[in-house]
Amino acid sequence: MRTWGLALALSACLPTSACVQTRQFADVQFTPPQGDYRLLVLRPDVSVGSLTTGGMVEPRADWTDQARANIIAALQAQQGQRGGKLQILERRNQLTGASEQEVADFERLFYAVGNSIVIHKYSGDYLPTKRGKGLEYTLGEDAVRLGQKTGYDYALFLHAEDSVASGGRIALGVLGLAGCIVGFCAPNIGGASQLDYAGLVDLKTGEVVWFNVVQAGSQVPGIAFGDLRTPAGATQMVDRLLNRMKPGLAVRRAAEKS
Amino acid sequence: MCGRCAALSRRSLLVGGGVAAASFGTGLAQARILPQEMVPLVGAGFKPTDKDEQGIWQLMDRAEEEISGSNLLIQDPQLTGYLRDLIGHVGGPAAKDFRIYLAHIPDFNAMMFPTGFAVVFSGLLLRMRNEAQLAGVIAHESGHFLRRHMIRSWRDQRRKTDIFSIAAMAAGVGGAAGGVYLGDYVQLAQLGTILSLFQYSRTMEAEADAMGAKLIAQAGYAPIEMANIWQQLIGEEDASARYRRKRRRRGSLFDTHPSSQSRMIDLRADAADVTEPGRAYETGRERYLSKIAGIRPTLLDDQVKLNDPGATQYLIETLAQDGWNGLLRFYEGEVWRLRNRNGDDVRAGQSYAAAVAYPDAPADAWRWHGITLMKAGRTAEAKTALTRYLTMKPDASDAAWVRQTIG
Repeated sequence: MRTWGLALALSACLPTSACVQTRQFADVQFTPPQGDYRLLVLRPDVSVGSLTTGGMVEPRADWTDQARANIIAALQAQQGQRGGKLQILERRNQLTGASEQEVADFERLFYAVGNSIVIHKYSGDYLPTKRGKGLEYTLGEDAVRLGQKTGYDYALFLHAEDSVASGGRIALGVLGLAGCIVGFCAPNIGGASQLDYAGLVDLKTGEVVWFNVVQAGSQVPGIAFGDLRTPAGATQMVDRLLNRMKPGLAVRRAAEKS
Repeated sequence: MCGRCAALSRRSLLVGGGVAAASFGTGLAQARILPQEMVPLVGAGFKPTDKDEQGIWQLMDRAEEEISGSNLLIQDPQLTGYLRDLIGHVGGPAAKDFRIYLAHIPDFNAMMFPTGFAVVFSGLLLRMRNEAQLAGVIAHESGHFLRRHMIRSWRDQRRKTDIFSIAAMAAGVGGAAGGVYLGDYVQLAQLGTILSLFQYSRTMEAEADAMGAKLIAQAGYAPIEMANIWQQLIGEEDASARYRRKRRRRGSLFDTHPSSQSRMIDLRADAADVTEPGRAYETGRERYLSKIAGIRPTLLDDQVKLNDPGATQYLIETLAQDGWNGLLRFYEGEVWRLRNRNGDDVRAGQSYAAAVAYPDAPADAWRWHGITLMKAGRTAEAKTALTRYLTMKPDASDAAWVRQTIG
């Protein structure tokens, strides 16, 4: 079923040569936070680069700063609508109640756990013992302690990496497309691509209750989508990543029964 | 997809193997880079102005934030201060801009990041026999920064992959238009591109070696010590391989660094070039040993636990060329005790007995000496040794057991 869904998504991608995939996992007991909750957003881990003609990603400082500012603005606007109180950390020493080192340790722990989630939930190395259990990962007591010290209910981690096709890469794609006339057709050398993921940690239990990955890419250089350097692109990304939080399996089943 | 990539590059290797070996074979024995030609390309307080370099610096600032707060770092202010002083001494014009971190990793390595911070592995401190050698490694790393290697190799890589992509596409389109198949040539070009990237990387290492030799000689250290480092490393790798009944890895076309052998030979020549007749050069062995005295037991302990008896024994014997002491003898015993083959207990016992004859024998040497004597039935001597252990380490975790044993 899942494989078919993926195949279908892939085949849908081909004609347009650009596609966006999102896939989220939640703790079985997860209910999306609503009402009067306090959310801590850890420093968004953003990098934007330029895709060179030869296919390397060259990091760009100015684009990264621009994208991070756009993402923070988009997050603030989105969470404002939901009613939660939030603080977005721009530096590790901005959190009252916890030291810079504690924040750093917390971030590292999350990225280590997040990495396992990506490997075992997304990359295909599925663990039989975690099958059908939703998202079953925790940051443990340290996360609970951080919640007690700072008074936050949830912590949100956000990672975004974006590469923008350079002029040379687009030209190469055009050459590949031109080749179609003489019978050497190679327009799909790969263009811009974006990988974003976010994880929500319940600071009352320490568990990672929700995780989402958005992957977007275009096969043909020159076809753009959700460019993080623009406010519109960042808003679209934040929307794709965070706006459709689904409740956990047990919660959904209970809702269906009642 | 990746499986296909591997198959493709393997096949291109076979196709182009013969030609490439002939045309790039000279890469391994390239002309030596002369120290006098190595002038620093950056001065004090360098900040990037080009977009590509700024991007890399931003990324590296994040990396430094992670590394500087890592719990793998050794924070001992005496040691980190020592390393900082050293890089401030041999770092050339950027000496005051460098940051240097000591990571607790029992491996022979050091690295310079493009923004001017270096990471030294603790295993390096174990292997260096004097301050000149450590200064040599640090100066080599400074050389990478001073010669702007990161950005230069990045640009080289970008240029070559760009050219290859355009050429491959042009060959495809042009070939299709002309009705010929140029796929084999494209694969050859791909291999050529890859090989030239590795070649470029080896050239940068050779530059850093030459720059390093020049820097330490200017600072008054014996430049020949840089060549000695490689001699020691070759010996260690040989010993480790021999023990495992294997052969030491020799250089190949796909190495990012020149072979240890060629580096040693070039550095010997460099040392002769940069030595000014009549000037006195020091090795700074006494100072080095006193600076690392506090951490040396930990370094040896880490090494012994790598379970590489061949390499460890070689290392200990190399360090002992500057004189045996209780610490080295004790860890020599540990190598055999932990290997635990037939007769190893006797060898270990001999080392412990030798260790306790030195005034600097660690408490554990007395402990194991005592246990060995106990096993041999020499109870009275064993009790003396174990009593000595308890005097030196009254709070040892096994103190109660030892007290009971000696009654």
